Amino acid sequence: MKHIVLVGNMKVGKEGDTIVTYALGTSLGLIAYDPVAKVGGLLHAMLPLSKSDPKKAEANPCIFVDTGVPRLLEEVYNLGGEKSRLVVKATGCSRPEGDNEMFKIGEKNYAVLKKILWKNNILLETEDVGGAANRTVQFNVSTGELSVTS
Amino acid sequence: MAINILIVDDSAVMRAMILKSLRMTGLDIGETYQAGNGQEGLEALNDNWVDMVIVDINMPVMNGEEMIGQMRENPATADIPIVVISTEGSEARLERLREKGAAFIHKPFTPETIRDTMRTMLHLEEND
Ligand SMILES: [Mg+2]
Repeated sequence: MKHIVLVGNMKVGKEGDTIVTYALGTSLGLIAYDPVAKVGGLLHAMLPLSKSDPKKAEANPCIFVDTGVPRLLEEVYNLGGEKSRLVVKATGCSRPEGDNEMFKIGEKNYAVLKKILWKNNILLETEDVGGAANRTVQFNVSTGELSVTS
Repeated sequence: MAINILIVDDSAVMRAMILKSLRMTGLDIGETYQAGNGQEGLEALNDNWVDMVIVDINMPVMNGEEMIGQMRENPATADIPIVVISTEGSEARLERLREKGAAFIHKPFTPETIRDTMRTMLHLEEND
């Protein structure tokens, strides 16, 4: 089955599933999967910190990196994923040219991600972040393959 | 096989961060030892079986470069793989350390850099 992740959202899946998200821009695209249990998920988080709008974060934690990442991990564990086997890959967080504060969101999203992973003792297996690219991500849960295009 | 690691840095916070990063790598880490300067580092090498040394450069009493020099002169420690983690910017000094076979990681480091360096070093060991 093909799942599409909208902005500020996440989807998890199992063997046979593909999870896609379009036009990440400065948003963080994070995948977490367990290659043995063949379960995984994809998060598309827009903003770094939930404290900027706690009400929104409560209604939908996936809008923010600091609340969305733990939610993604939790859902993957709920499907049978094991922390010791978890493979985590980051993409998105682009840094378009410009002086506007808006353009720095990608960098902040990435910084908050690294802090949360450090707290949770998790390393990134790969990262494809930054630059001006507006990435689209396709994650094959059966194989763990991640294809990033822009 | 589990690898025993000696971490030498004058900052206890830095030693804790390096240790945490090592634990995050998923590599088979055995005993870990810590020292606050090069002199203590050499003593720790004398007292323990160590498979890899992670060492800072700028430290009181004895700096990392001197410790590495003494390690290389002692047959018991001459072949132990060394990773230097430092803010050091002097290309000449880095070149001298590379000549002594040390890998280099710049501070501030990410845990991923430590993992990747460890992977490379352990892989090289396997192929020896
Ligand atoms: Mg120092």
